[in-house]
Amino acid sequence: MVTGATAPGKKSLQTTLEISRAVKAYYGGVQAAKQEGKPIVWSYGLIPREIFHAVGAPVIYLEHLPLLMSTKQLSGRYCQIAEEEGFSRDVCAFHRCFIGCAAEEEKHPYLAKFWAPPDLIVASNLPCMSESKSFLYAANHFNCPYFFIDAPINIWGKEIPDYAVEYYAGQLGEALDFLGGYGYRLDWAKLKEAVALSRRLVYLWREIDEYRKAIPAPMGIVDGLTCAFPLIQLPGTKLGVELYERLRDEIKERVENKIGVLEEEKLRLLWIGVPPFYNMGLLNYPEQYGAIVVKSFVEYLAGGAFDPAIMDPEKPLESLATKALVDIVNPTYQNMIDFAVQTAKDFSVDGQIALVKRSCGLIPGVLRLVKDAVYQADGIPTTIFDLDGMDLREYDDAATKANIDSFIETLLDSKRRG
Amino acid sequence: MSTIDTMRDILHNPERLVADWKAQGKKIVGYRCIYVPEEIIWAAGMWPYPIFGTPEAITQADSYFQPCTCEFIRNIFDHALDGKLNFLDGLVLCNTCDAVRHLYDMWITYIKVPDCHIINNPQKMYDESGYKYYCVELKRFKSEMENLSGNGISDESLQSAINLHNQTRGLLKELYSLRKKDPPLISGGEALDIVMASMLMPKDKCNQQLQQLIAEVKTRESPKTRGPRILITGSIIDDPTLIQLVEEVGGVVVADDLCTTTKYFWQEVGQNKDPLDALSRYNTERCLCSCMHPPERRFDYLWELIEEFGANGVIYFNLKYCHPFLYEAALFREKLAAKDVPTLMLEVDHSLSGLGQLRTRIQAFIEML
Ligand code: SF4
Ligand code: SF4
Ligand code: SF4
Repeated sequence: MVTGATAPGKKSLQTTLEISRAVKAYYGGVQAAKQEGKPIVWSYGLIPREIFHAVGAPVIYLEHLPLLMSTKQLSGRYCQIAEEEGFSRDVCAFHRCFIGCAAEEEKHPYLAKFWAPPDLIVASNLPCMSESKSFLYAANHFNCPYFFIDAPINIWGKEIPDYAVEYYAGQLGEALDFLGGYGYRLDWAKLKEAVALSRRLVYLWREIDEYRKAIPAPMGIVDGLTCAFPLIQLPGTKLGVELYERLRDEIKERVENKIGVLEEEKLRLLWIGVPPFYNMGLLNYPEQYGAIVVKSFVEYLAGGAFDPAIMDPEKPLESLATKALVDIVNPTYQNMIDFAVQTAKDFSVDGQIALVKRSCGLIPGVLRLVKDAVYQADGIPTTIFDLDGMDLREYDDAATKANIDSFIETLLDSKRRG
Repeated sequence: MSTIDTMRDILHNPERLVADWKAQGKKIVGYRCIYVPEEIIWAAGMWPYPIFGTPEAITQADSYFQPCTCEFIRNIFDHALDGKLNFLDGLVLCNTCDAVRHLYDMWITYIKVPDCHIINNPQKMYDESGYKYYCVELKRFKSEMENLSGNGISDESLQSAINLHNQTRGLLKELYSLRKKDPPLISGGEALDIVMASMLMPKDKCNQQLQQLIAEVKTRESPKTRGPRILITGSIIDDPTLIQLVEEVGGVVVADDLCTTTKYFWQEVGQNKDPLDALSRYNTERCLCSCMHPPERRFDYLWELIEEFGANGVIYFNLKYCHPFLYEAALFREKLAAKDVPTLMLEVDHSLSGLGQLRTRIQAFIEML
């Protein structure tokens, strides 16, 4: 149900525009590679991108393409096509969206700007276990080879035992062999370099995060989501590092000059769950109350919430394996809960907005745990309500705004009463 | 009381058996699902107790889980919150789907069952590195069960547990062979109750009952009714109502590919000098479930059942928000069509709402066959 208009989000940073241009250039590069006859890889989730960049394989990560379609309100159309192909409305809208993109015979002009069909698929059950099955549809539809990487869940916390690292690293090695079979030969020096660049990228990301904790917030969630692209798609590349160096410099300057997104911040909020990509303007909606959404957990959905010191370029596969397994979205969820508690505290937030995207098998299951843990540790409340950030057909603008209004009013009221 | 009624009675009223077991000072370990090697629990002198849902409405669990978590898992958690699973001394889950992994986190946070374990089984079957990794996991699990029970597990005791459980599997398979007849000698509803009771009962008792039951069923007269032969598949079914619905409208349910039926017993643990290794092989070379890879092997197993039992049509009962099977249904639809097997895909609630509408759709399907 769609009630009310959608609007784009407001961005404040110059580097965000550069990153938007880099996104377009990235897809342009993949399309050019396709035309040159290079095999295109589709991949997903927390499979370390570094392995693809190291062997020069053009890769599209399939959680990003639906997001782009959603920003142009096209995701509902593609979900619908997937449903006509027999996929239930209960399975992830991201995956339905990209199935729809794959199935559409005559590509929509906006999709055509990014579209490059796969020649190879590398899928995994990390972070969500079942959604990778959508790749089986793609493998069948495009008749292309498919490699599956199995990830152990993290029952260990921050210290992953050797046998689990060995298992995952071994499969990364097998995935590299698989790519090698299609002309993408591994050069270990390049892989080590990719790991070093990736480590640098995460250090920069953490530095940027440190600045983002400042009051007033120098950067809001709309910039934050666009600026997550290098973390999602470019770990292991020089370009990713360069973009984050520029972002770090810009944000540093803003903090030093006390330039915030809002002149006066009455409330600081954290956003947990998928934001409405088709209506990014909603993320600015709280600003009329003097409330700023300082951070979104979605920025971390493809990694970044770990200590980069665990990466050793001399042990590239082990480093990439550890990074993937220790990730906060790898169940079980103690790492995510610890991270949520720490983030709420570090960003001095007054409240958390947590969304239930019903078609997500992963995030909704952890919301109650996060809500309780953050409240117990920091006394910070969380509101939880339904919002499918991908499928516009599920969106109810009036109900969503009513939920946000009442939460913010409660927070303001309790602030007034001290 | 006939043997099947005795078994049903145990399934629906296990309290007496539980009390007797506890009176001997022995422990009970709840588990989900078929990828948990119950032999290890048994060899440690404990009762591996499969956890099923019940038809009761969910009351408390919905304030912990969102309604988009599969209802079966919410149902189990509701019982746990209600204290109905307090008799358990431990719980063992395994790495199969997101809903189960959420259950683990919820359980260790909000339920006070003393010992909660999760086995990190690989989802990629027939893979040497997965097998090696799983061997280490099983060693870890074995020592956890030794600690929980206070008993050591020798190779002999583990081998004897494997033999005992293999015997159950063999007997169930023998019973199922009686469904290959036209018409079959047991109904789909009966088969579900029997397998679930067998899963639940301590296997020494269970095997005696099964032997008796097979003898009884063999003497049954062939039923008169004939109809299209149906195979049921999809998410977990732990209540015969849906199967009975198919039978009421003229379908003859001859086989079922469920985690409460064939998936539980279709393959036996192989013989190996090292029984722990045999279990490692067993659980990494058993692609019976849509949660596992590769899907081709899963399809082979489904196809084997369709052929062996001479099914004319397949009905998928998928629980809402059961992602593994909802994907599979879409993916296998074409494969089954290519083999000329008519298929009906249904989304259902664990609480069995909307039976009237389901009946109409199933009836139309059966008539079409
Ligand atoms: S939205 Fe949820 S189910 Fe979908 S890809 Fe992301 S984590 Fe997986
Ligand atoms: S569907 Fe598969 S993973 Fe889920 S309970 Fe059944 S056998 Fe286990
Ligand atoms: S496999 Fe499906 S029915 Fe079984 S626990 Fe997972 S989501 Fe629920």
